[in-house]
Amino acid sequence: MIKDNLRASANSATRKPRVTGLIDDLLSLLSSSKGTSYCEARYHSRLMTEVIFVNGDLQRVRAVENAGCGIRVLVDGCWGFSSTSNMEPGALRESLAQATSSARVLAQVKKNKVKGLADSKMARGEFRLKASGNLRDIDIEQKIKITKEAEQAARKHSKLIKTASSTYRELLDYKAIVNSDGGEVEIHDSKPEFSVVAVAGKTSQTATAHEGVGITGGWNDLFASKSHLDYGVEAAKRAEKLFAARHAKGEKTTIILDPGMVGLLSHEAIGHTVEADFVLAGSIARDRIGEKVASEMVTLVDSGNSDNADSAAGTIMVDDEGVIADRTVIIENGTLRSFLHNRESAMIFGVPSTGNARAFHYNDEPLIRMRNTFFERGSETLYEMIKETSHGYLAKGARNGQADANGEFMFGAEEAFLIENGEIKEMLRGASISGNAFEVLKSIDMVGNSFKYDIGTGYCGKYQPAKVDGGGPHLRCTAVIGGLQ
Amino acid sequence: MYRGDWRSPVVQDLLRHAINDAESHGAHDAEAFASTSNESEVFIENNDIKQSKSQQLLSIGIRVLVNGSLGFYSTNILTRDSIRTAAFMAVKIARASPKDRFNSLPGKRKVHLLRGVYDRSSESFGSSDAAAAAAEMLEAAKSYDRRVTVDSGNFTAARGTQFLANSNGIELREKLSTFSWTIMGMAIQNGDVSSFDFQSGAAHFARKIAVQKTATEFAEAVTGSLGPRKIDSFRGEMLLTPSAADELIEEVISHSINSDAVQRRSSHFAGKIGKRVSTDLITVEDDATNTEGLGASSFDREGVAHRRNVVIEKGVLKKFLYNTYTARKEGVRTTGNSGGSTSSPPSVSTTNLIVKPGRSSFDSLVSEMKRGIIISRFSGNVNPVNGDFSGVVKGGRLVENGNVLYPVKEVMVAGNVFEALRNLNGVSKERKVIIDSILPYMRFDNISFTAG
Repeated sequence: MIKDNLRASANSATRKPRVTGLIDDLLSLLSSSKGTSYCEARYHSRLMTEVIFVNGDLQRVRAVENAGCGIRVLVDGCWGFSSTSNMEPGALRESLAQATSSARVLAQVKKNKVKGLADSKMARGEFRLKASGNLRDIDIEQKIKITKEAEQAARKHSKLIKTASSTYRELLDYKAIVNSDGGEVEIHDSKPEFSVVAVAGKTSQTATAHEGVGITGGWNDLFASKSHLDYGVEAAKRAEKLFAARHAKGEKTTIILDPGMVGLLSHEAIGHTVEADFVLAGSIARDRIGEKVASEMVTLVDSGNSDNADSAAGTIMVDDEGVIADRTVIIENGTLRSFLHNRESAMIFGVPSTGNARAFHYNDEPLIRMRNTFFERGSETLYEMIKETSHGYLAKGARNGQADANGEFMFGAEEAFLIENGEIKEMLRGASISGNAFEVLKSIDMVGNSFKYDIGTGYCGKYQPAKVDGGGPHLRCTAVIGGLQ
Repeated sequence: MYRGDWRSPVVQDLLRHAINDAESHGAHDAEAFASTSNESEVFIENNDIKQSKSQQLLSIGIRVLVNGSLGFYSTNILTRDSIRTAAFMAVKIARASPKDRFNSLPGKRKVHLLRGVYDRSSESFGSSDAAAAAAEMLEAAKSYDRRVTVDSGNFTAARGTQFLANSNGIELREKLSTFSWTIMGMAIQNGDVSSFDFQSGAAHFARKIAVQKTATEFAEAVTGSLGPRKIDSFRGEMLLTPSAADELIEEVISHSINSDAVQRRSSHFAGKIGKRVSTDLITVEDDATNTEGLGASSFDREGVAHRRNVVIEKGVLKKFLYNTYTARKEGVRTTGNSGGSTSSPPSVSTTNLIVKPGRSSFDSLVSEMKRGIIISRFSGNVNPVNGDFSGVVKGGRLVENGNVLYPVKEVMVAGNVFEALRNLNGVSKERKVIIDSILPYMRFDNISFTAG
């Protein structure tokens, strides 16, 4: 099945499955399926390469190839999922039989049966996500070299930088998905990321700064706006400044969020509450479609495409149920319009799937996950937003966030700038921003006119990891800024 | 072409090929680690069976050294061609990597295979058996008390073989079987929602599957935390259940005894060998030869025999855990703690982290308490480097003058694990196996509880 494309050359690690044959084999597998009301076969081959340097030492270098087929069936209203890395027709048929028989057994004890799958826009054909500079053509020497140099650049920048690390990671994916409802698609994807962390100061008193980028694209896209050395130097510069900065005072006040923080707000605080599986489990968004949940200036979108700006890390075009992953407007001018669905939840809500079913590896089953989640642009410049703020903060640099099903959220900002009488006064140390998602949405009174995706280096965790992105313009809202994080 | 044949000779042959291929491409040392497994899993969600999942996994990780430089490549395509490419790529990566003189592979030594980690009957344990076990667990929790709501859970049966070979002549394999299950959720009564609770169980043998027991413990915990009351802030004793000790204490100790953390200066225990780090009530060991824990196996990720390592004896720090690399950096011997999967080069890790039983019974630990809280779960942050913790008490019960009074709500607990260990004043005889930890109930004095 899988033909090794082995040349004794520098780039022989890449292997190209015999594509058409593969689709045909998967289709013939589906046609052999008996007693299933739905059947899906998803071949996914991934090559992950990772290089990590810490304080001048190579901490880790590895390349991991993971390929196989995940088979999912619906039998008597119950899901069965089985996977195998053996692509021989006999092994695939055995895997299908395993999924079918275990679903049948389980259906006998399952109370709430799956009612069916919503009719949705099935993808057919070949999809290739945009990339300039094929990662397969860049030698491993080059990937190790830039990672080493960026870490070195951070430490060399200043004596104050005691610790630095840098990470290069790439995911090269090929998928072939067929299902019994007409989906028949091949997808080629490439998602690299690069980041540097610099820590200023000694053990008791430190300040940490991150600088990174994670995208859907190629080598040229990854370093389109900044060189690898810039990432190191900028992380070091910021850590140095933060080290000298004071902490923010805790208060509920006006806060301008940068696009990265806006991305985190879209993803953590709102996005998760509108994932239909969480909605069904009783999230705060339940029963609120058509309701006013935010200020009229707010339009919030989750899209499988890279809308408004190029190379967003959560771009998929087609989801892992073979459904076209279009733009889904979650909130339109302040009104809640849609949840995020797979075909099963869409059936329950009587709508088509929004194309949010995603699986991380071939042996993971698709779950409802976000893609690129963002606020649409408004009309204000950042300058005007600051000028119109008598007292408040500009929060920059999205860090880890947490949010509960009730909409309470807390995230870290790496740096905060005090604003007094329409002017930036002082840079302050990292602070936490917290509030209730829907209250914060209602408090939004200015929306910026720029746009950026900026959480592409992160992974969203929900039983499995997923590469997602988020962003938007600058937003002005009211929330609580904490002191230490 | 590989044809789904996982018989050991086939895989062992591939390992030999991997090493020979790597050497022929110029590797001075080469190692191949492979793992095959068959897994059957059933998920529970929202008081119902959700779906089944089964998989056959096999993969190989090839580690090579070229002039002291490390290269690593892993693949789950086990054809002869794919192995050849993987070995070639591992060498290519090593040639591009900086030299590190501490990189080396262990030599061949005797490894005795453990008994008690493989159950032959696991070969006939199918997805219908996994479904039955999951259904039994769900039913046991629901029938214990109507107020119990099972949010999610799972039952997994896995069996497989691990293979390791290196260019120093090591050639090992071992079969392992594991059964594990989890259940989580809450109790709901007239709009009063109890603390969330999570329980798990694990065994190497099918006859030791105890889903009923785990479900009952879970149901007891959630119904027992209904009707909680607010209390005032106070300073007093904290009695951790084994599950809470696993969340609050285990990670900090595991991190601090890891030689990698010690060498990176991120361990609080660095430089403290021979020093007292706790009251004399506690003895901690890492022991992969204890087959009660799921971390049991005969050899580590590099093929070094597993052994029992006493790390803290009666409160005094005795040793750190090493793999070949970190041991060489300090000029000591590996403790057999190389860990990791086929998809990364070896790290340093604990196997089964075990706290030896104490002298007191759980009941006497409670009856000796003046004022304190029994904590079933802890939800918050623990910093493994400096030991600081802060979070919310879950499933907490107030104790006064030896009597358990009532469940408490909105209580925060904060402190420092290293300081707490110096205030440890009770360890129970009773212990619980939590996947790969075996822990007693532990009681600490002088802990600050803050009303929310």
